[in-house]
Amino acid sequence: MSTNLAKWIFILGTVISGVILLALTVDTQRQMAALTHSDQLSPQVVAGKHAFERYNCNDCHTILGFGGYYAPDLTKVYKRIGADGIKTTVANPDVVFASSWRKMPQQHVKPEEIDELVAFFKWVSEIDNHDWPPQDRNAGISRTAMRAVVGGMNLGPALFKEKGCIGCHTIDGAGGSIGPVLDHVGAKMSAEQIEKFIKDPASVRPGAKMPAQKGLTKDEYHQLAKYLGGLK
Amino acid sequence: MPLTLTFKSQRAAYPYFVIAGLLFVLQIIVGLYLVSNYFHTVPQSVVNVFPFSTARAMHTNLLVLWMLLGFMGGTYFILPEETGTDTYSVKLAYAQLIILVGVGVTALVGFIFGWTKGRPLLEIPFPLNLLVVVGALIFLFNVGMTMLRAKRWTVIQGSLLGGLVFLALLYLFGVPFYRNEALDWYYWWWVIHLWVEGAWELVTGSILAFIMLKITGVDRAVVEKWLYVELGLFLFTGLAGTGHHYYWLGAPTYWLWFGGIFSALEPLPIVLMVWDTFNHVRERKSPIVNPLVWTYVVGCSIYHLIGAGVFGFVHTLPQINMYTHGSQVTAAHGHLAFFGAYALLNLTIFYYALPKLKGIEKFDGRRGLFGFWTMSLAMMAMGLSFGVAGVLQTYIERILGQGYMTAQLYMRFWFMLVFAFGVVFTVGVVTTVWDLFTIRAAKPAAT
Repeated sequence: MSTNLAKWIFILGTVISGVILLALTVDTQRQMAALTHSDQLSPQVVAGKHAFERYNCNDCHTILGFGGYYAPDLTKVYKRIGADGIKTTVANPDVVFASSWRKMPQQHVKPEEIDELVAFFKWVSEIDNHDWPPQDRNAGISRTAMRAVVGGMNLGPALFKEKGCIGCHTIDGAGGSIGPVLDHVGAKMSAEQIEKFIKDPASVRPGAKMPAQKGLTKDEYHQLAKYLGGLK
Repeated sequence: MPLTLTFKSQRAAYPYFVIAGLLFVLQIIVGLYLVSNYFHTVPQSVVNVFPFSTARAMHTNLLVLWMLLGFMGGTYFILPEETGTDTYSVKLAYAQLIILVGVGVTALVGFIFGWTKGRPLLEIPFPLNLLVVVGALIFLFNVGMTMLRAKRWTVIQGSLLGGLVFLALLYLFGVPFYRNEALDWYYWWWVIHLWVEGAWELVTGSILAFIMLKITGVDRAVVEKWLYVELGLFLFTGLAGTGHHYYWLGAPTYWLWFGGIFSALEPLPIVLMVWDTFNHVRERKSPIVNPLVWTYVVGCSIYHLIGAGVFGFVHTLPQINMYTHGSQVTAAHGHLAFFGAYALLNLTIFYYALPKLKGIEKFDGRRGLFGFWTMSLAMMAMGLSFGVAGVLQTYIERILGQGYMTAQLYMRFWFMLVFAFGVVFTVGVVTTVWDLFTIRAAKPAAT
């Protein structure tokens, strides 16, 4: 091989690959506006990104698969544990992970910052990223959806997730550890007792730590209690 | 009679090497703390004050800092010999070092108090970014002026300067705040990927070519010809190969094709580098004076191939990467690649240059050889343990769909192994750095 040929390999290799990268970047920049719904980047979402960076979340957690590998991926966290789940965890990590052998720092994130974080995670969860990560594709939903079918199309499992119960309680290995595991709660309490408990825990068991759950419709209380009562 | 340096200004490299060595030791100690967090429960009270995230920011920034200081010191050593003149200004070289070390210390202390930009590897806050730019500009000015004044251009100095300018330009993509998280990561990789698979490879290629030229006595024309081909292949596969980071962040589907194909070719230039190194070693015209330097040169190219080439290749195809992305498989690759490609490269230049800076022609390489093998074998064992943890994580979490912490439970044992091998690695690092600082002439009887 002559030096001249070697020089040409260097020049052509660099130029061809560089042009490909730059040309695709121009196109990607254009397409990503749609793929990431950048029109929905509200000031709250951007403030959430600032909060996400202010507390250095990304050096433990991955997001879009990038960052520290010390804690769960947050790309689809909004779909996995919902707004209430995120709020509970960020506000009280010391309580939520009290019995976990890996802890999350209590960083005293302000309530408005937590709302911003939720908006940010909701926006990220809607990025069209070929449904990565695979475990969140339908894992969280299908497990509860399976129970929904078994329970005769009960909305309970979805409510359990949506209303943030899952932030404190675990069913089938998924959920938080602040409250008791509810795998067999139906064996201890009837659906009626559970419904009463959800509405006002202290009225059933004085001194209960769980806060009264407001913000569910009458039917939602009923569906949720029916589902939990069926877990025997 | 002790050998004197060809150019006095080469001494500017010395403090760079010393500080880089110390930071390397510090990086490894923080690393041991990090891995202990994976199998041992750190109490909430400690986590609140000194979380994993802070320690990780320190570990990775120490890595970047010591390696860049090593490259810069290496440049200040090579430059006079390549250009045939003294460095433009030794004072500027020291000023730049003071600025960069000042930034480093401020950043590390700042992290502890939560002063961070919160973007992995690019955590240092904006005011410090500006100081880094000032430091980099002084460096490039100093190097550029030296070359301009000398008016003697070689392929080695051309690619060295090209790599350093490219490196500095790419850094700028990491400075601004991006409103869009996906776009943020898109350009984050312009810093990280295009550094390690672009600019840093240019610097590495030219430094290795320089040392090869000096120790083997092979013709410059031959060394520089292969340098052209290697760098051409590195950039051809590496630039468009950035796409292997764009599979899952909300970029168009064509990146699966471009990323997959170009990055599948990425091991090629490294294979060429290994082949090339062996050729030069076989066809050497100079006698082997310091066998340890040769061990490092050959070791660096082989480890580069294993860590960056093989461990990168195994999870670069989108079909596999969908499951391994963001898992400990990446940590396995990251550790082996940074050690193999860049830690060993830095240590190679340290072992080549430090004896000369101290006026030693032939040094006693026994401790150094122990250090080399201890580090190399322990890092290999660490990489494999990270790898097993990663495969477990991939299978349990991504395929079986079990919870994150369930997978971590099964991975605990392998992190204990990483820690154990990490302790061995630390022994190797401390031995090596200590040996470099106290390098002695070999006893004449040995020859």
